[in-house]
Amino acid sequence: MNLWKRALLYTMRKKGKTGILFLVLFVMSTFVLTGLSIRSAAGQSAGELRQSVGGSIKLIRDEEKSQNWTYEQGIGGTMIGYTGTPITDNEIEKIMQVEGIQSYNGIGYGSVYARDFSFISGIQFSAGSDYSSLPSVTYSESFNYFRRKAFQLVQGRHIIPEDDHVVLISTALAEKNGLKLGDTITVQCANDAGGYPDVTLKIIGIYKSTIEEGQFNTTSTDKRNRLIIDHRAMKEIMQTDTIQYDNGVEFFVDDPKEIERITAEIQKLDLDWGCFKLTVDNSAYEAVSSSLTAMESMVTGLIIGIAAVSAGVLALILHMWIRQRVRETGILLSVGVSKSGIILQHIVETMVIALAAFGLSYFSGSLIAQGTSDLLFAQAAESQPDIELEIPDDGREYLDLTGEYIPYDTTEMVSPKNIEVQVTQNHLFLVYVMGMCIVMLSVTLASRSVLKMKPRNILSQMS
Amino acid sequence: MDILIEVKNLQYAYETKNNKKVLRNINAQMEQGRMYAILGPSGCGKTTLLSLLGGLDSPTGGQVLYQGTDIEETGLAKHRRRNVAFIFQSYNLIDYLTPIENVALTSKRPALPVLEKLGLTAEEAGRNVLKLSGGQQQRVAIARALASEAPIILADEPTGNLDEDTAAEITAILKEAAHSLGKCVIVVTHSNDLARQADIIMRLRKGDLQIVDGSEINGSIGK
Repeated sequence: MNLWKRALLYTMRKKGKTGILFLVLFVMSTFVLTGLSIRSAAGQSAGELRQSVGGSIKLIRDEEKSQNWTYEQGIGGTMIGYTGTPITDNEIEKIMQVEGIQSYNGIGYGSVYARDFSFISGIQFSAGSDYSSLPSVTYSESFNYFRRKAFQLVQGRHIIPEDDHVVLISTALAEKNGLKLGDTITVQCANDAGGYPDVTLKIIGIYKSTIEEGQFNTTSTDKRNRLIIDHRAMKEIMQTDTIQYDNGVEFFVDDPKEIERITAEIQKLDLDWGCFKLTVDNSAYEAVSSSLTAMESMVTGLIIGIAAVSAGVLALILHMWIRQRVRETGILLSVGVSKSGIILQHIVETMVIALAAFGLSYFSGSLIAQGTSDLLFAQAAESQPDIELEIPDDGREYLDLTGEYIPYDTTEMVSPKNIEVQVTQNHLFLVYVMGMCIVMLSVTLASRSVLKMKPRNILSQMS
Repeated sequence: MDILIEVKNLQYAYETKNNKKVLRNINAQMEQGRMYAILGPSGCGKTTLLSLLGGLDSPTGGQVLYQGTDIEETGLAKHRRRNVAFIFQSYNLIDYLTPIENVALTSKRPALPVLEKLGLTAEEAGRNVLKLSGGQQQRVAIARALASEAPIILADEPTGNLDEDTAAEITAILKEAAHSLGKCVIVVTHSNDLARQADIIMRLRKGDLQIVDGSEINGSIGK
């Protein structure tokens, strides 16, 4: 009779022991399966959260170095101008080759007078027409106001690189001037030098500002007056031949966890680093990462704990039972079964039970995983402190065009709630692999003491 | 007759402080088709000798040769599997198997005919072994030994737990195994009745093994 048949007969005939072992293995695998599925869901959710909060690296002109500026004495005072290397599409092309960068957004800068409409008036410090600062963007969806949910597009669409002379305006400005999608507005560059042409822009989108406006806004600092335009329009407004991203270019990364590596790789590129510098905005990720890490490590710890306790309990039970089987071991040795054959029989017996227990735990795990996950995440959310975003040291580079810090909407940055937990075949496979390793280890450890004995000693113990 | 098993200068000492020697330079040869009885007082080393012949333990000196080859060279597990079959006083059957399955541990041949030949019915052969009487259990143990193709049967007090009638029946079966089946049956016993049925009687005393005449055996010599 081979060991498979012996193992099968033992499992079938020793119903009590089989039942207890089945129960232990079933409970163990259900817990581990539940833990694995929650960990997967938490990991996936953390990944999604990381992508949603994002992270960016901004290439800007290094305006702190005096050699990048020229000073000219003109009428009315000293004129200063940036004479360093401008940021153009050439720099963008090189940086976009770095692995892990998802997209970019070049931001131009200008200020305009309204020609056939009116800005929402703020405090005026001097006589003359109201003007407002405006950015030109490659992708308006990636513009920091929209990314931080300070602006939300309510009508129309975002600006894309192919756009030509288009504009996004606020609901407040649209309301004040009776403007709607498809209408046009005319602006003129607000540079003191004068002589700039009127430029007509087509409204393709209307956004709602969620920023609470202060009482002492000038027309230019009032976010409701912010016109967001494409680069071609900016070229005509500013009367330049090439798009110069005077307000820098933001590069968005796939995963903010990778931001340090990506920054280091960009710094190795052949760019004029005497004129450029990089600033990293990872503040949102930093703010949420600790809670995500805590959640992941809690679940991982839980799985390891369950696996360790289960292995311990299993080893203890098997140790007791195998010691009780000393007579059988002696008999088998006396009929010429090798020690390894006996250990293998014990392993097969436990594995047969484990196969059934693990398989069934797929269903029990699926049943309790969602409930356990909801409970864990609810507890984690309760114990999680409010997210506080710190303005990075180089935060000034992320200020609004007019010098104000753009607030984050942190409502979506809390740990995920009600995540969907699913026990998959991969989890089951992992439980099988882990379980079988634990079973083999436990059985071998438990069998060790008996099998270290000489067959004769086993037989004399029997008698 | 062919010599099946031979011991040369066999020694065995327990691993104690003073390494107590129980077997000292034993030399013996056992042939197929014969039944041997080993007598001796308790603690003289009878079971130890049987264990060494069966490869359950290794001697501290000397050799056990099976058909001229040292069993240590063959491998003790292999020797146990191929060359010897044990019968114990306490039957030593596996409790979760039926008699048929216990016999099948050592043989691939059908077990029922062997069991029936030893007096078990088909119904008894399919029961759990713990539901059989002592005599029936020992018959199963003997059937297991006979069914195996091992040419040597080593029996340690095979009738020790049985009543007189059953013991006589078991003794007759063992004798038949030697004479009809050509097995070499080596029995360690206290029973003079059983010893008298053996072809050769040996006495183990103070570590030495000597052949004795059957007429020397009286009611107390084995004890």
